Amino acid sequence: MNMGVGIYNVLCLAVPFSVAILVAALGENFNQRAGVFNLGCDGIMCMGAFLGFMLPYSVKTGALAPYGNLLGLACAMAVGAAFGLLFALVTVTFRASQGIAGIGLQMLGWGLSGTLFRHFVGGVTGVEGIASMPIPGLSKIPFLGGVLFSHNPLAYVAFLLVPASWFLLYKTPWGLKVRAVGTHPRAADTMGIRVDRTRYQALMLGGAMAGLAGAYLSLCQAKMFSDDLVAGRGFIAVALVYFGRWSPLGILGGALLFSIAQSFQLSMQVWGIKFPYEFAVMLPYVLVIVVLALARKARQLGPTDLGKPYNREMRF
Amino acid sequence: MKNSLQTALTATVFLGLLCGNAQAAPAAKVKIALIVESTVDDKGWCQSMHDAILAVQKKHGVANIEYSHSEKMKPVDAGSAARQYASKGFDIIICHGAQYNNLVTEMSGVFPNTTFAYGTSANIGPKNVFTYTPFSEETGYLNGIIAGMVTKTNKIGNVGPVDGGDSARYTRGFLLGVKAANPSASVRVAFTGSFGDFVKAGELAQTQLKDGADVLTGSAQQAIGALRAVAAAPAGIYWVGQDTAQLGMPEATRVLAACSYNYAAVVEALIAKRAAGVKGGESLPLQFSNGGFRFEFNSKMDAKVLTPAIKKAVEKAKADLTSGKLKLDWKAIKL
Repeated sequence: MNMGVGIYNVLCLAVPFSVAILVAALGENFNQRAGVFNLGCDGIMCMGAFLGFMLPYSVKTGALAPYGNLLGLACAMAVGAAFGLLFALVTVTFRASQGIAGIGLQMLGWGLSGTLFRHFVGGVTGVEGIASMPIPGLSKIPFLGGVLFSHNPLAYVAFLLVPASWFLLYKTPWGLKVRAVGTHPRAADTMGIRVDRTRYQALMLGGAMAGLAGAYLSLCQAKMFSDDLVAGRGFIAVALVYFGRWSPLGILGGALLFSIAQSFQLSMQVWGIKFPYEFAVMLPYVLVIVVLALARKARQLGPTDLGKPYNREMRF
Repeated sequence: MKNSLQTALTATVFLGLLCGNAQAAPAAKVKIALIVESTVDDKGWCQSMHDAILAVQKKHGVANIEYSHSEKMKPVDAGSAARQYASKGFDIIICHGAQYNNLVTEMSGVFPNTTFAYGTSANIGPKNVFTYTPFSEETGYLNGIIAGMVTKTNKIGNVGPVDGGDSARYTRGFLLGVKAANPSASVRVAFTGSFGDFVKAGELAQTQLKDGADVLTGSAQQAIGALRAVAAAPAGIYWVGQDTAQLGMPEATRVLAACSYNYAAVVEALIAKRAAGVKGGESLPLQFSNGGFRFEFNSKMDAKVLTPAIKKAVEKAKADLTSGKLKLDWKAIKL
């Protein structure tokens, strides 16, 4: 194996591998910036993956067939937003423990998507999904063309979401409100910002993005659905937010690092490098843990009120 | 004299089981329960056992075989299901996976009159526990011959779940098959580390394809993810499967052939042995020679790809495996 070709292949594959966790982590960043961590991200991705698959599967022979994928994406985002709303109701209005509620949401999403799939579809089956769309001209650029511009349309959307998220968080009044309610909700409340409403909005947006991430898995990666399709990627997304220090650019770096490690370990096996595969498959996860442990100062950069329910009637 | 009589009786019972009594309808109604970790329609591991029990039930009649199953049973949850089945008087409880080893061993002591079975395992367990082992190197060998003869790039990919159990045997048999058919071809063996992560299997398949592989194979339910990746690849990329259900999927245009387990032989043996008073303590093999495997070519595949020469080579190997003329030393293969 030529080393240059090997690196090229690893990078080409790392980009599509990173999309689902990148989109979900960018959404989770909105949640956490607003002061709420949503461990139910994985469950929302399951529901997004299910509906992303279900719509094109259901309309594949009807008049709506050409729009099946778009409908799937829209419904995945809608169900994600609905789950975000539910989570907001439980954690913001009823002030339940965010960790416990998140685990509950994860189990609800995982169980409900599997149950609905069994009821409406049954066994394993596939959909045509969304095919790759190399960008004319750009995809012909040596090296970079294959790495960056020969992917699924959703991959381009995912990478555009990085600057979009940054702009929304740091350059708009709404972004300022989100950061304010996550950092010092009482001060924000005093300034007339409606803390609960802002948290609701952030959770719904985060949920919609998690739903989209799930739909990417079922429509673009696997082009099928199964109960275990998401396989814990939602939890990786939550970890990436810490890893990326609550910055969209940092999250992008984390997602790419994780997926490059993933792509590298798979390639390493395929190249026949003598290394126990049990350790190889652990590599991306170990890498995330090591970097998280080394970045111990990261917590200082995060939203200071993360995980704490806000009650304006309570005095501290 | 007494020993001779015992030997004669034992031989009679054994021959009876082999020569047809195993196929006869059970004298009394048999209640069979199946416990699986995935679902019975996963087009893979769990479905093959479920389909086998249904086939046996259909053959002997619903009046003679009562069947019930529990899906999505992690080993920690499966205990309560097994206990309930045993308490309700189920005669045979099949826990379909080696991960149920400890559970079955524990339950067998609590319910000594119930026959338990699990696999894949070659363990000889308690007196009321059967194990079953597919000799998957045989199916791997046939698929390997096809892959070796079809490949143009001389690079073949294997998308395995873990290097253990029947997957390890399949992988090594596949390597032997490729080597026999095309010694210059190389097989890139890689594992996802998971039986059910379809996305990761797809990612691994994409990695194999990017590396130049033009024929892929894979085992366990996760293999469907790899097959989806093959189906989405440019023309000229093919798949040899470890489940004949894949021949009925839309992706079958890329499937050259597929093998699958025929657990009906195991289920029949469990019923017959229990009827003969043997509740366990044996390991039952699945081989071509005892009808434990099915193998099918894709009848719709272009004859220019799946040539008569390939079919002939595979049929000969299958016949040799069935007759016992060909023995595969899969344990000698080091990855």
